[in-house]
Amino acid sequence: MSKRTEAYFRNVPMKPYDLLREGLIVLLVVAAVVVVVAAILSSPDYPTVRGEDVANRQPIAFVETSANILAGNSGIQDYGPPYTPDRDNAQSLFGIAPANWFGVRNRIDPSQDFIIKPLTRLAVLNEDVGTALQAYEAATPDQQQAWLTAYISSLDDATVVDGEVQVAPGDYGPVPTLMSGMLALGRSGLLEGALESSDRLPFNFDFTRSLLFFQDDVDASVAEKLDLLGEQWGISNETGRYPGAWWLWPYTFFYQVRPMSSSDNADLQVGAIMIGFFLVLLLAPFIPIVNRLPRWLRIYRLIWRDWYARSDGGPGKPGGRSA
Amino acid sequence: MNLTRRAQRLLTEDLPLEDALPTQMPVYVNSIVYLFGVTVLSALVALVATGVVMCLFGPGWYHDSRVGHFVNSLHFWSVQVFFAALLVHMVSKYMMAAWRDGRWKTWVVGVLALGVAVVTGLTGFLAQSNWDSQWIAVQAKDAINALGVGAFFNTMNTGQVLTLHIVVLPLLLVLLVSVHLFFIRREGPVKPLKRMGRNE
Repeated sequence: MSKRTEAYFRNVPMKPYDLLREGLIVLLVVAAVVVVVAAILSSPDYPTVRGEDVANRQPIAFVETSANILAGNSGIQDYGPPYTPDRDNAQSLFGIAPANWFGVRNRIDPSQDFIIKPLTRLAVLNEDVGTALQAYEAATPDQQQAWLTAYISSLDDATVVDGEVQVAPGDYGPVPTLMSGMLALGRSGLLEGALESSDRLPFNFDFTRSLLFFQDDVDASVAEKLDLLGEQWGISNETGRYPGAWWLWPYTFFYQVRPMSSSDNADLQVGAIMIGFFLVLLLAPFIPIVNRLPRWLRIYRLIWRDWYARSDGGPGKPGGRSA
Repeated sequence: MNLTRRAQRLLTEDLPLEDALPTQMPVYVNSIVYLFGVTVLSALVALVATGVVMCLFGPGWYHDSRVGHFVNSLHFWSVQVFFAALLVHMVSKYMMAAWRDGRWKTWVVGVLALGVAVVTGLTGFLAQSNWDSQWIAVQAKDAINALGVGAFFNTMNTGQVLTLHIVVLPLLLVLLVSVHLFFIRREGPVKPLKRMGRNE
């Protein structure tokens, strides 16, 4: 025993103890519990939402997503750093916007990266798409917006005939052909490949564009059905009846209360609160009141009740105790 | 300064075998709450073991193989046990004001380990390559970007997520847990609080 330990435990009655035996028993119990629970309850593995699935099952939603991205209505369009240079849109708290500190590190131009570039690849296989793309790019931005606005409005009454999205006649320019091309890309299962094409192919580790493509309405509608939206306590839930990341409940809780529940800066506000909580926890030994609370709550009396019983006349007499 | 001599002194004087692997304990160590630290440690062992098996077969294995899915289930429930035991361990240590008598370093390193464990858990959910990963990646990115961390950590970069989850963060966690254990064994269990209102 070190001199330090010896001095600390002087006059404290000791009892025999087997650290390794205790550790092994607990390890075996934990292993047994985990094996039994895993065998009975398994684990969640809800399948991904792929472009192919959306194109086949929800073609109107697929086309609406594509048209909105092309029209500049994507949530990423003017997101701010790290995707776009729109610094004014970065979340801020008391005028501080940490997202702006490091600038644009992962440049994304949604209409180009998510629609025009994949269609350019498709144009190699489909002349109609190539022609429509040329017509679209030759038009003025105002004309492009007029076509897209009219087309997106027409989707409210769209129908699906033989797998194709049909809208009422109107002045949509080449947009229906472009959207047909996107839908074909989705149905073929090539959407994600077209989105992630890079100089490093055939290797790829980064799926940013594929994941962002459906993040707005399509993913949100799936998440809502699975109780995974932010207002449903979001990512601390799990699919099915499985426990999720319940240890994040304090974090997701703050998204449910004002002002965070209705704030554009909720992520930063909740993040700041959680950093504050973490620092309080980290420095609890030094923070007045926080470090006295255990004495006032007196839960320690339950934990050490045998020891206190000894000092109240039980067997043996306790040794020195710390203040 | 002779580093080797300092290391020798650290091990022989600060952490002799009787402290590192004790065969006796103070009698006040007599409550079930003392078992939750070793429960966390056991769950961590289960997590590393099942994680290593999943690494051996690659990230797609557990989707396609029944055995792989079972190993993933073991990993999943080990996480639940890990955090449940960690919660009880931390709350009980707080209620015992276990940072007394110079044990504040043990507390601080433990809380840092908790922080790393939470981030490791997040990357685990992101690395599953299923709907959970898909949804959590696009949801969590906003919080991470808002804090300025998005410039270095992209929740949708699965390569980065996977290497963080299986190498960097577990190494950091094991390192912090090792330091935590070193302090625990060096200092020994803290003495009970004096009862309020008693002149003892």
